[in-house]
Amino acid sequence: MGLLALGTALEWADAKKQADLVRQWGIKQLLAIWNKAKHKERDALLWGDEVEYLVVVWSEDDQRVLVSLRQADILKALANDTELTSGGGGVPDLQATTGASHASPLPVFHPEFGRFMLEATPGQPWGIEFKELLAVEADMKLRRSIAKNHMLATEYPITLTTFPRLGCPGVFSDPSYPVSGPKLRSQFVPDEIANPHIRFPTLAANIRSRRGRKVQVNVPVFRDEKTPWPWKDPTVNYDLHQWPEDDDVRNGAAPDNFIHMDAMAFGMGSCCLQITFQAKNITEGRQMYDQLSPLGPILLALTAATPIYKGFLADTDVRWNQISRAVDDRTPEELGEKPLEHDRWRIPKSRYASNSTYISTDHRLRPEYMDPNLIIDEDIKAKLLDGGMDERLATHFAHLFIRDPLVIFAEDLEELDLNKTDHFENIQSTNWQHMRFKPPPADNSIGWRVEFRPMEIQITDFENAAFAVFIVLITRAILSFDLNFYIPIVKVDENMEAAHARDAVLDGKFHFRKNLFPARAPRSAGPSGANTPTPSRPATPVGPVEDEYRLMGINEIINGTEYARSSSSSPVKPDADHDADFPGLIPIVEAYLDSMNIDVATRCELATYLDLIRRRASGELWTAARWIRHFVATHPRYGKDSAVSELVTHDLVGAVIAIGEREQKGCGFKGLGINGLDKLLGEFRGGC
Amino acid sequence: MTKSIILSTGNIVSGGPSIIRKNGASRSNRELTDSLRSNFAAAKEEYAYLAVNGTNGNGNGHADRNGSTPLSVWTEQQDSVLYVPRINWDFAGLQEEPSQYDVTVKLFFLTTGSTSCPSAREQHARQALSLVLKELRIPKVDLLVVSFPGMSFDGDCEWEADKQNAQQGEDEEEAATWPALERLQREGLVKNLGIAEFGSEKLARLLKRVEVKPTVDQINIKNCCNVPPPLVELAKEQGIELLVHNDSTDVLPKGTLRELLGQGPNGAGVLADGEASSGLKGDLTPQWVIKYTAVVRDRGVIENKGYFAGAELEEEA
Repeated sequence: MGLLALGTALEWADAKKQADLVRQWGIKQLLAIWNKAKHKERDALLWGDEVEYLVVVWSEDDQRVLVSLRQADILKALANDTELTSGGGGVPDLQATTGASHASPLPVFHPEFGRFMLEATPGQPWGIEFKELLAVEADMKLRRSIAKNHMLATEYPITLTTFPRLGCPGVFSDPSYPVSGPKLRSQFVPDEIANPHIRFPTLAANIRSRRGRKVQVNVPVFRDEKTPWPWKDPTVNYDLHQWPEDDDVRNGAAPDNFIHMDAMAFGMGSCCLQITFQAKNITEGRQMYDQLSPLGPILLALTAATPIYKGFLADTDVRWNQISRAVDDRTPEELGEKPLEHDRWRIPKSRYASNSTYISTDHRLRPEYMDPNLIIDEDIKAKLLDGGMDERLATHFAHLFIRDPLVIFAEDLEELDLNKTDHFENIQSTNWQHMRFKPPPADNSIGWRVEFRPMEIQITDFENAAFAVFIVLITRAILSFDLNFYIPIVKVDENMEAAHARDAVLDGKFHFRKNLFPARAPRSAGPSGANTPTPSRPATPVGPVEDEYRLMGINEIINGTEYARSSSSSPVKPDADHDADFPGLIPIVEAYLDSMNIDVATRCELATYLDLIRRRASGELWTAARWIRHFVATHPRYGKDSAVSELVTHDLVGAVIAIGEREQKGCGFKGLGINGLDKLLGEFRGGC
Repeated sequence: MTKSIILSTGNIVSGGPSIIRKNGASRSNRELTDSLRSNFAAAKEEYAYLAVNGTNGNGNGHADRNGSTPLSVWTEQQDSVLYVPRINWDFAGLQEEPSQYDVTVKLFFLTTGSTSCPSAREQHARQALSLVLKELRIPKVDLLVVSFPGMSFDGDCEWEADKQNAQQGEDEEEAATWPALERLQREGLVKNLGIAEFGSEKLARLLKRVEVKPTVDQINIKNCCNVPPPLVELAKEQGIELLVHNDSTDVLPKGTLRELLGQGPNGAGVLADGEASSGLKGDLTPQWVIKYTAVVRDRGVIENKGYFAGAELEEEA
């Protein structure tokens, strides 16, 4: 979440009038940073991870399980912990940091949209030293233990992506509040579900107002043996008449066979694992943005962990589209449901969606890869071009700036401050694409950064560390081997959809580039600066874009064709032409590691992480989504009717808490008696 | 008469599939052989193209793809050294200044390499290192790891590997070679020295005989979690880092080199195959291989990686 400035937040009717001003000022601020930072060079690789937690109230003997809405109290407890703050950690948004330096600063905690959520980041960014990569898991465990220590005995920070019973009828939060409040107008969750900081309820309310109705988060329900069909979401109340938006469900907002949700909290209340990288300069940042983009859907499917919504099993495995719909502020005109009259254009995607642009200066970026339906604000693009920005980057920002700012503070409109980036960030940080390209802050103190956002949070810190480290190693391989993952953006969009399917990790097919390697550099290329005009040989002619990629399963993409062919769970047809073999992302990472000086113990730990990912991709181990489904399906109280009762949820959360406690103790998972756990974690970290 | 041959791969880091380890092949020289082969093929094509079209690059550039690009076009003879392929040093160097990099080289003294003359290895080391310094345009390397012939870390369990290792290699030759490496370090060409495949006993014996201790011991073990405890202990006590590698010790056997340069379907056509064919005639013996890797410090990016190999041809009169 962005900065939590205080002030008078404008309601939508007023905010709308100021949207153009904010965009204009935002562009000026962007150009100011661009001019300051475009020549910034040689920033080190620094990176950071963000882990988000749900806070639950759970005890063995109480069959209920609730989300705790004590976020503010927990953050206050963390901020008041002098040992933590003097160690460089704490809560920056609630307390000015003392600037105390510390050998290894303690973690930092942040509020999130959901009042039942918490975010924690390392006290300082990580470097590329391999030994540092091994500190990530320990730091994540430390964060979890610090968080737990500032909670009540019955409260636990857990890393499930969503709370399975959020929005169920009856009591699901502690404390409990009545639904149908003025901000969210949700018939399932109270306004108090959101962080009370004015920014958050305003964000939710303005999305709803702009849209002209409540958000519609509909997820297909999983059809089990005894699920009534057609299935009508039994929790929908068609007889509410408190707000105009209560008509939504009477107007078809809740179709058959879909779990229906109606508030931002159902999406933005999800936990994810995000990784941010600092690039050496803007060129490398743009390259990483493009090259990581096609990997987004693959990592989404591989980290799938979201099979339950509002007390029902869903027919999808991941959170992505639900968040997308939960913050979709498009009007009926923008959605194409009505002819354009008041709005400027039809917009194909939500503000939260897969990327729509490639931005690199790489010569391998072919025009055919670009999104043919990209909407941009031509005036803004012209201003950026006038300001000296190049075509591609100007197009990128002119696309992000088609959106309205959602939360505007009156105080910020008094005068334009070019030493700040608040107006730029207002638009930038409410464009939730699966990658984010981040310019340096106004003081230019850090470099150009790229954020990788699609991954789902995993139940254990071991898994979270594994995926974080994997992505770091992938970026190093991309830059070292000059890998090329380009496929058309519309194919990345299709992959994002494909990643949602139940067990997409096993059965899904994804468009993926066949040959990642650059053509052999001609010997006249030399290092940059050699700048000799000597040609070597004629440029290799490029074929049709469609020949550059083909459909692959996750196993083949991660482990390579040869491995996928030999592993039984997802057989790949033997192909006479072995030149068509895809090497696999893990073998590429291993080739990178083979070329580096790494000590034996470190390499062993890194191999463990790669091994987890290898086994998840091959199907040998399950995703969290599969494990949760298994846990529910085999629970004696599950009625095979798609409904996940309070008792089943209680036991599921109890299992997750028990796993977390074992992980904290570091004594393995043996003897927990949790159904299917061995298929989730195998023999890793002490085994099951 | 003896002729030296210098083989080179150029920068292989963006060279594609040859860097990817094949499934199950934990130790392999395929990276070297594949990348040599691909560099030969590319050089033939590119230099033939330049020869035909000049440096303006006009013309349709049909290089003769039948491998019959004349040797004089794509290789180069300088004094008694034949460069295969020709190296254009104008294109040497790294993108940023040398201080930004960690450069590691690994020098393989080969089984077939000459040890008869005491200074042969020193000559080889100096020749190999100077090629790397020239290729990367740097004054020194950060780490020189030396691989002696006949060493491995094989066995069903790591204890056994350590025991077997104690009997391998030639202690005397290794100890006799070391002062030459120490001289490179004293001259400032190398910051640190390292060794490969030294088990606990061999390492202990070597340490007794050297002035400058190695800072690194590279080992290849099947399961990297099972390093033999005596080795871990000794390394810790001596401040030696145990690093992982996947190179085969016998990285360029004589037969492989012959095949690479011969007239066969995978050969570069440098060596004659019998009386009838053209090419160099005589007995070709690989002497050494040097692998170099330049990594951008602070960013973990490999910018340049490649190999040189030295061989000696005893020409038939």
